[in-house]
Amino acid sequence: MMLTFHDIGKTFLSERGEVPAVQGVDLAVREGELFVLLGPSGCGKSTVLSLAAGLLKPSSGEIRFDGELVAAPRKKVFVSPRERNVAMVFQSYALYPHLDVFGNIAFPLRVAKVKEESITAEVARAASMLGIGDLLRARPGELSGGQRQRVAIARAIVRKPRLFLLDEPLSNLDAALRAATRAELKRLQRELAVTTLYVTHDQTEAMTLGDRVALMRNGRVLQVGTPRELYETPRTPFAGSFIGPAPMNLLDAVVFEEKGRLYLRMGGEKIALSPGKADEVRRIATGRVLLGLRPEHVRISGDPGPPALRGIVVSAENLGRERLVSVETAGGILTVLTDAEAPNAGDVVGLVIPIETASVFHPEDGE
Amino acid sequence: MSEERRIRVLYTVGAAAMSAFCLLPVAYMVLVAASSRPDVLSAGAEVRLTAGHFLEVLGTGSLHFPEYVVNSIVVSGLSAILAVALGAPAAYAVTRLELPGRMSFLFLVLAVSMFPPVSLVSYLFRMMSALGWINTYAALVLPYTAWVLPLSLWILASHFSRIPRDLDRAALLDGCGRLAALRKVMVPVAAPGILSTAILAFIFAFNEFLFALILTTGRNARTIPVGIALFEGLHGEIPWGMIMAAATLAVVPVILLVLAFQRGIVTGLTRGAVKE
Repeated sequence: MMLTFHDIGKTFLSERGEVPAVQGVDLAVREGELFVLLGPSGCGKSTVLSLAAGLLKPSSGEIRFDGELVAAPRKKVFVSPRERNVAMVFQSYALYPHLDVFGNIAFPLRVAKVKEESITAEVARAASMLGIGDLLRARPGELSGGQRQRVAIARAIVRKPRLFLLDEPLSNLDAALRAATRAELKRLQRELAVTTLYVTHDQTEAMTLGDRVALMRNGRVLQVGTPRELYETPRTPFAGSFIGPAPMNLLDAVVFEEKGRLYLRMGGEKIALSPGKADEVRRIATGRVLLGLRPEHVRISGDPGPPALRGIVVSAENLGRERLVSVETAGGILTVLTDAEAPNAGDVVGLVIPIETASVFHPEDGE
Repeated sequence: MSEERRIRVLYTVGAAAMSAFCLLPVAYMVLVAASSRPDVLSAGAEVRLTAGHFLEVLGTGSLHFPEYVVNSIVVSGLSAILAVALGAPAAYAVTRLELPGRMSFLFLVLAVSMFPPVSLVSYLFRMMSALGWINTYAALVLPYTAWVLPLSLWILASHFSRIPRDLDRAALLDGCGRLAALRKVMVPVAAPGILSTAILAFIFAFNEFLFALILTTGRNARTIPVGIALFEGLHGEIPWGMIMAAATLAVVPVILLVLAFQRGIVTGLTRGAVKE
């Protein structure tokens, strides 16, 4: 199923008056796609999910399922969640405590008045897909977090929904289980080929799971793209620092032209831009810019050839496989993620600036 | 004496004093009921223990005591069931729907429940007379339901607000309408709370005196409290022994009910006390 949001806004009434939760949201989720809504808490991603589910009515805009309107306040159209045939996995799992596992998974089928024989078969199928076939008689209260999670997923997939909604489904699991369940969710989604909307604040989850990702902030969608696009070409400094293993370095720099070539000045250094990069930068801004450098792309070198910066090591954190090194340069503090041996604090090092993969932002896009 | 021990002793003494204070009238009631003379505590009175008063209360046809017990149980039971049946959907609406002025509504309901019954009773009498319902179950069940409904609504709303919202969201997404979500998810999950609410409503109705006094005229609908108050001895004296025996017997259904659902009632009371 294709899910489209057109110019969706949702305001809540509170004591402080009308509070906008999301504004001007346009989304087009493709058939069978796993689409991730990523953003910090309070960015409106869960509101978008509830709007898709029909648990909330939009204040403005239109929502369509396969082109058919399901919510449009201006046209007074609203299809209730019951009629939308969407399934949701809640962060809290929301299992029915008075029913056993079988009763929980069978619940949507019973509500839909499916025949009892086929219910047994369908529940068994869903339970075996998730490896909980031996738990059918247990109560939710007797299950571990991971098991509850599986029951919640089984309940969601048992009736073959048009749209599958997941609200931070992994955030209540411990780290090891989270990674395993993540892989399994991906496999399950591929197998079922159900259009899926997945909400998370965890960029690793978004990167590993999503076919495409929408990055949200303050109720707006900042950027939509494949995980790779978001990583390689963040459109805002926020996107750069939110996505990636460590926040992007943001440094003030000046772009200027000299004898037909474009240069970048940061600190005391002057770095020449290649013709390709120069074209790209010219489209964004000249003069003062914000330069985004990924810590994992900056290299520490003993013998700094250009383009390079020199700096003093402030601290080095050992993260196990990698080390996060902070270096004070003339342009500000830069963090470097390296798997090489870390220098000691106080060492003077050279930094190789990856100018070809660097992001250049308009200075007003920073905060 | 260690700190812990001292606290334990104080606690025990305090609890004992409190229980004694509350239970003394009850003890007196049982004592008088089981004694041959009501002046059992006066000096020099010659008193035997006897079951006579109990047998008399149950056995004397003209007292109609067993009928009063049946009336009380039927009237209180129906009122409790109605209060919960009407209160549960209202509590669902108040806690789950986006209604403007929900809190004002709740407080209005509370305010209504604070009218002194005495201010309503004369009008109720005229209304029930006009309807020809005096001395019927309906004459008591309807006012009782109206009277315990605000309390039931508040307690049920407090129970419902403790149920995670995701549960009924899940029910809505699983294909339920609002009513089905209430029936298939909210009510079963809140069952202990609903049960204790019903028991509280039952006890309130069971103890009610004024409406029952005014709205009943005979054994067809008269309830225990009124029945006992109107006991008369053969020669016009106050039959203390029988009154106390009847009062003791009247406590039995309530005690049985509370014992059976003790756990639920305690949580129900505390939950109703604090609106979370």
